[in-house]
Amino acid sequence: MDSTTQTITTLIIVLALVVMVLVTQFIRRRKEAFPMRMIPAYESIPLLIGESIEAGRPMHISFGSAGLGGNNTALTLASAELLYQVASRNQVGSTVVTASDPSALPLAYGTLRRAYASRRDRLSASSVRWYPAGTRSLAFAAALTGMMGDERVSGNVLAGSFGPELALILEAATRKRQSSIAGSVDLDGQAVAYAMADQALIGEELFVAGAYMSDSASQHGSVVALDVLRWLLILGILIATANAIREPVLAALRGGK
Amino acid sequence: MTRLGAILATAIAIGFGLLTTWGLLAGSGKIFDITNILLQLTVITVAVTILLGILNLFSIHLRRIVRRSRGWVYSFALIASAAAVLILWIVGAQQTNHMLLETVEVSVESALAGLVVFALVWGAYRMMRRRITWASVLFTIVLLIILVGALPLPQTSALIGVRSWLLAVPVSAGARGILLGIALATVVTGVRVLIGQDRSYRE
Repeated sequence: MDSTTQTITTLIIVLALVVMVLVTQFIRRRKEAFPMRMIPAYESIPLLIGESIEAGRPMHISFGSAGLGGNNTALTLASAELLYQVASRNQVGSTVVTASDPSALPLAYGTLRRAYASRRDRLSASSVRWYPAGTRSLAFAAALTGMMGDERVSGNVLAGSFGPELALILEAATRKRQSSIAGSVDLDGQAVAYAMADQALIGEELFVAGAYMSDSASQHGSVVALDVLRWLLILGILIATANAIREPVLAALRGGK
Repeated sequence: MTRLGAILATAIAIGFGLLTTWGLLAGSGKIFDITNILLQLTVITVAVTILLGILNLFSIHLRRIVRRSRGWVYSFALIASAAAVLILWIVGAQQTNHMLLETVEVSVESALAGLVVFALVWGAYRMMRRRITWASVLFTIVLLIILVGALPLPQTSALIGVRSWLLAVPVSAGARGILLGIALATVVTGVRVLIGQDRSYRE
C-alpha cells in the first residue's frame, strides 16, 4: 500500500471513529439532536412481523451470498443486525434464516439465540438453513423459492448479497402473495429489488437497521458518522473537479475576451 | 459468567482487529507477517464452515424425510444425489462426476437463467401497474431505451447513441454513488467492530 493510500485510509478510519464517539455521547443526552429521514422499508417491518404472527407463519430472512472472512464481512454483520431486530420482535412467531455462504451460519445461529433469549422454545435446529450457491447462485434462488412455498412463509426480508437471481425469488414471493423487503450490495440485485420488491433498501440503507429499529445511541452515531463522511467525500470530489477544470475554464474565458 | 464471556470476546475482537488493521496499513515488517498468519487462519476457519453447511443441509433434509414433511420427496432426491456424487468421487469416477455436473447442473442453471429475463420483464410491468410515479416511468423508459438500443437492427440505430450516453453518464454516476455509499457504510461498520460496539459478539 503506497503512503498516500495509507494516509487517506488512516484519516477515514480516525475520522469515522471520532465522529461516532462524539455523536454517540451527544445523542445519549439529546436523542432528537440528529433526526433521521424515513426509510419506508424499516417502517414496514413491524407490519410484516405483525402479519406473520397473526397468520402463524414464519418470517424468512436471507443473507444471500454474504459471508464472513471476505469482502462482504461488514455487510454480513449489518444483515445480522437486521436479523436480530426482526427476530427479537418476532419472538412469539418463528423465523427462518437462509444463506448460501456457510460462514454466515454460526453468525445466524448466534444472532437467533440472542434474539430468542427469552423464547428458546421457538428456536429449532432448522431455523437456519444453508443452500449452496452454485456457479451463478441460481441454485440458491431455486432452493429459496421451494423453501418459501414449503414453509408457507409470511414475509421475506432479503438483505445481503444478491444478483439478478433475486428476480426469481421475488417473483415467487409475489405469486405466493408474500410481502418482501429486499436490498443488495450488488448493483444488479439492487435494480431487481427496486423494481420487484414491495420495499427496497438502496445502498447504505442496508447497514443502518440498528439505528432505525432500536434506540441505540451508538448505532445512531454510526449513521451520523456515515453522513459526515459522505459530505466530506462530496466536498472532496467537488474541490478535485473544480481544480481539474480551473485551467481550461480560465483559458476559455481569456480566449473569449 | 456470560458477561465475562462477552467481555473476553469483545477484547479478542478489538485486539485482533486493531492488530490486523495496523498490519495491513503497515504493508511490511513483522506486524505484516503476523497479519498474514491471522488472515490465513481466517481462510482456514471459513473453509471449515463448509463442513458446517453440509451437516446443516443433511440434518434438515433428513429430518424432513423422517417426518414426511411437505416436499420430503425433493429432500430425498437431494440426499440421494449428494450420496451418489460422493460415492462416485470415492470410487474415482471423476469423469462421470464431471459429466453429471455439465449435463445436469449447468443445464438446469442455464434454464433458470433464461427464466430470469421473464421474471424481470414481469417485475417491471408489475411495478408500473402497482403505482405510476415519476420514478417508475423513468425506470421503464430507460429500460426500454437500453434494451431496444441493444438490438442489431438498422431501425434502432438512432437509439445507440442515446443508450451509450445513458450507460456512460447517468447510470455510471448513479452506480458509483451507490457503491461509494456502500463503501463508506462498510468502513463505519468496520470501525464499530474495532471499538467493540458491534452487538454480535458483545452480548
